[in-house]
Amino acid sequence: MRLFKNGKIASEASPELVEADVLVDDEGLIVEVGPSLDGDGAELTDCSGCVLVPGMFDLHVRGREPGFEHKETLETCAAAALHGGITGLVLMPDTSPPIDTGNQLKSVQDRIAELGSIEMLQAGCLTKGRAGKELAGFSGLARLGVPMLTDSDRSIDCPDLLRRCMEYARDFDLLVTSHCETPALAKAGVVNEGKLSYRLGLPGLPSISQEIAIVRDLALARHTGVRLHLQQISTGMSLDAVRLSKQAGVRVSCEVSPHHLILSEESVADYDTAFKIQPPLQKAADTEALLVGLLDDTIDVIASGHAPHTSFEKSADFGSAPWGGSALETAVLAIYDRFIANGKFNWDLLIRKYSSAPRRLVGLNSPVIEPGRQADFFVFDVEAETEIIPDYFRSKCSVTPFLGQTLKGSIRETLA
Amino acid sequence: MSDLKPRKDLLDIGSLGLDEIEYVLGNAVPFKQLFQRSVKKVPTLRGKTVLNLFYEPSTRTSSSFEVAANRMSADVTNFSVSSSSISKGESLLDTIETLQAMQSDYIVIRHQAAGVPNIVANHTRASVINAGDGYHAHPTQALLDTMTFREVHPDYAGKRIAIVGDVLHSRVARSTSTLFHKQGIEVGVLGPGALIPEGRPAFMQRFQSWEDVFDWKPHAIYLLRVQMERQEGQFFPSVAEYHKMYGMNSDRLVSVRKLGAYLMHPGPVNRGVEVTDEAMSYEKSLISTQVENGIAVRMAVLHWLKPETQKD
Repeated sequence: MRLFKNGKIASEASPELVEADVLVDDEGLIVEVGPSLDGDGAELTDCSGCVLVPGMFDLHVRGREPGFEHKETLETCAAAALHGGITGLVLMPDTSPPIDTGNQLKSVQDRIAELGSIEMLQAGCLTKGRAGKELAGFSGLARLGVPMLTDSDRSIDCPDLLRRCMEYARDFDLLVTSHCETPALAKAGVVNEGKLSYRLGLPGLPSISQEIAIVRDLALARHTGVRLHLQQISTGMSLDAVRLSKQAGVRVSCEVSPHHLILSEESVADYDTAFKIQPPLQKAADTEALLVGLLDDTIDVIASGHAPHTSFEKSADFGSAPWGGSALETAVLAIYDRFIANGKFNWDLLIRKYSSAPRRLVGLNSPVIEPGRQADFFVFDVEAETEIIPDYFRSKCSVTPFLGQTLKGSIRETLA
Repeated sequence: MSDLKPRKDLLDIGSLGLDEIEYVLGNAVPFKQLFQRSVKKVPTLRGKTVLNLFYEPSTRTSSSFEVAANRMSADVTNFSVSSSSISKGESLLDTIETLQAMQSDYIVIRHQAAGVPNIVANHTRASVINAGDGYHAHPTQALLDTMTFREVHPDYAGKRIAIVGDVLHSRVARSTSTLFHKQGIEVGVLGPGALIPEGRPAFMQRFQSWEDVFDWKPHAIYLLRVQMERQEGQFFPSVAEYHKMYGMNSDRLVSVRKLGAYLMHPGPVNRGVEVTDEAMSYEKSLISTQVENGIAVRMAVLHWLKPETQKD
């Protein structure tokens, strides 16, 4: 038995925190929640100054296994997630081989079961080998309970193929997830086209690349009636398109990453590849629009877009370095530091966007800190600080735009 | 000038102070005077080594650096790497290790990827001179352009220069316009809309036509090279149409001559595209002077930078 004493409990039901102690039994079940519990003989954890927050769920994570174990493994990925307050996640299928058949999916599911760690759901590909040419084995994937179909960071260029994917996925009620990029416009672009690409002399990636893809995908979703999820929304115009479609009843959801909520192209340090994040960081006005979109529920979900690489891979020149970096362990902290600590929004919004809404999209129940429920929460010390240094990370990847910063708050432990 | 902060690398123009610019351009003048003497060499860098590391084909810039280093009595090694033979990026750190082992005092680097000289500079004790990286910067070109313009316009502040052509893909346009602006020289640009980036600094006003340019009464016209090889996608219908719209032809040369404006070009010139043969022989063309000043400026840069290779 463990007794978490003197903490405050956060929930999606209310912005107010409730002072209560939490008693958890040896099976990890919450036995009692209430003021001044004594929990005879239980191991005591003093949670003064701490908030107990239901575990997060990340819809957009790369575990890199199989095929890229030098970047991350399912084991390090799970450890990183727990370290960051995340108790469940969806793995992108951009592994090697890609997860495009039931058999591939089964082997990863077996590996996850063997690890016996947090809840990790493996997504499947939309097209065979993520090549954007022919449909992947949807029925085999669906039979094994695939949470979503996505070609990860590849956009399906051909609208006819995407339409057929959607029509076929609809029959299985599968969630289709789109990366939202127009390859012919994105080309070799590596930073937002505009002042930044001019200053750094790097190939620009125009924001219309995402905006056009989103408008196209929304039209296809409306036409086919499929459930569509848009990854990593980054511009104000993208949001406007989503807003209109939602009003028109299109079954669409979308996500934003903490990076895109917090950082804009102005924050890109010269040629620092930690800032090479997909899609490229946008103008400050877009960053502000994303916050508005999050608050008015145009944006349903926060998802990290965790994309680990080795430091060596990220030490290449900006143009050649791979996109992305470590995000699982900075997501909650960065959001607390930039938004919750200064009252821009409260824990309830974070829980809604980063715990319950993503779980609902993949058909899972959300954790609540109540008697009779599984202990699925993390202890967040609001009085402490966390120094973001390479040693902080449990992920194999410590490349992050927050490196060297001290963020408010600290995740003491995560129960799952 | 003794209070000048020692600088290890020359990576771009934006980070240079006016005092540093004056120091380099000031020293370039006596170096240039040296060229008229029978002995064109100074012993300043005797015993020092300069590594010319070119990842992009270039004869002009690499030769210019080679001549400059020779005239400073440095030992020069030319190292050209064909871009196809290296696995781009990933081998960069390994290359730096190799360079470090060669104990060069100065590394002159040209690379197709923007920012590579910055990475090299961070990982080596040698002075790194950016000889052009991607679309980013070409600082010695900017210095030689400014030296050239200042020779014909000693009262350069408030003068006007029109840059014509592909600004989007041009590191020359970026560096040179930045330096001109720092010198108080006004900069205007002319070119097809797709090649005049929206993200350019506000001081680069755009003209819609040659007529507008001439009405502005520029003191020099700087023609950029049409970089067909650097463009992904089509930005204008054809080279012939580019020439018709933006090339320096005999009609336009009449207006240029009337204004008494000078012509500049970073080279190599695409004859019949940016410039006609007739315009090439225009009496106020500064193209050869730019080449000559390039050597003087690069000598001054080698003289100015302080490698960290000789501390003990």
